[in-house]
Amino acid sequence: MTFTGAIGAACMFPLRAIIAVCVALRIHPNVLTLVGVLTNVWAAWALAVGEFVTAGWIMVLANIFDFIDGKVARELALETPFGGFWDSVMDRFSDISLFIGLIYLYAELGRTDYVVISAMTMMFSVMTSYTRARAESVIPKCKVGFMERPERIVLFMIGAFTNRMAAVLWVIGVLSVVTVADRLYFTWRELNRPTAPSPSC
Amino acid sequence: MLSAVLKWPALVLWRAFFWTDDRATWQYDVWVLAILAFVWLTPPDWLSDPTASGPGLIGWIQRLFVP
Repeated sequence: MTFTGAIGAACMFPLRAIIAVCVALRIHPNVLTLVGVLTNVWAAWALAVGEFVTAGWIMVLANIFDFIDGKVARELALETPFGGFWDSVMDRFSDISLFIGLIYLYAELGRTDYVVISAMTMMFSVMTSYTRARAESVIPKCKVGFMERPERIVLFMIGAFTNRMAAVLWVIGVLSVVTVADRLYFTWRELNRPTAPSPSC
Repeated sequence: MLSAVLKWPALVLWRAFFWTDDRATWQYDVWVLAILAFVWLTPPDWLSDPTASGPGLIGWIQRLFVP
């Protein structure tokens, strides 16, 4: 098993118990998604006031809701196209609110450079999701590029817990630019691939 | 021969940046370790970090060996 696979498997133990509780209580998955967003807004506030460790713990809580909503939907047979759409939209609100928290903090500290870096990173994080969503309306799948939402979230938590948010912003920013470029190139390549000749009758 | 030697780093970089692998693969682990090394080892001063203080691991090692 890989190092990251082992961490994922270890995290699944408590999550399975939480999923079981939510299924037993028949909590609607869309409610879990909404609670996740509101908790992320709370985390953003903690980031904005410079309470990084508190923000880290709130992000852990928020992302439990974020992670389990899909699994609870499956277990309760409540998977709907609207649920998927709702989840994607709410994810963008969560992402953006965390960045706004950081932008507020850096503005308060008078650090225009990091206000711009946070804003640019926010833009490319949103574009990472948008390029994939838009690409998949013209090609079947566009799952290329490293910096997706789970990576961003884990990096945010690492940055908050260890007070290394500037380094985390640089990593998310640069790799989001690369991911957007990957997706543009991949989609262009797929759309310009010569189609296989159809068998003649 | 030389072109083959030069091809390897380019191939590794292309594979790393034009990412098509899944999570929980050894390639993913390599990326994660490289990112964690950057985040934790880089001295916050090098990035003009507005909130972090201290020299970071590289700075600490530097202080240990450079008088």
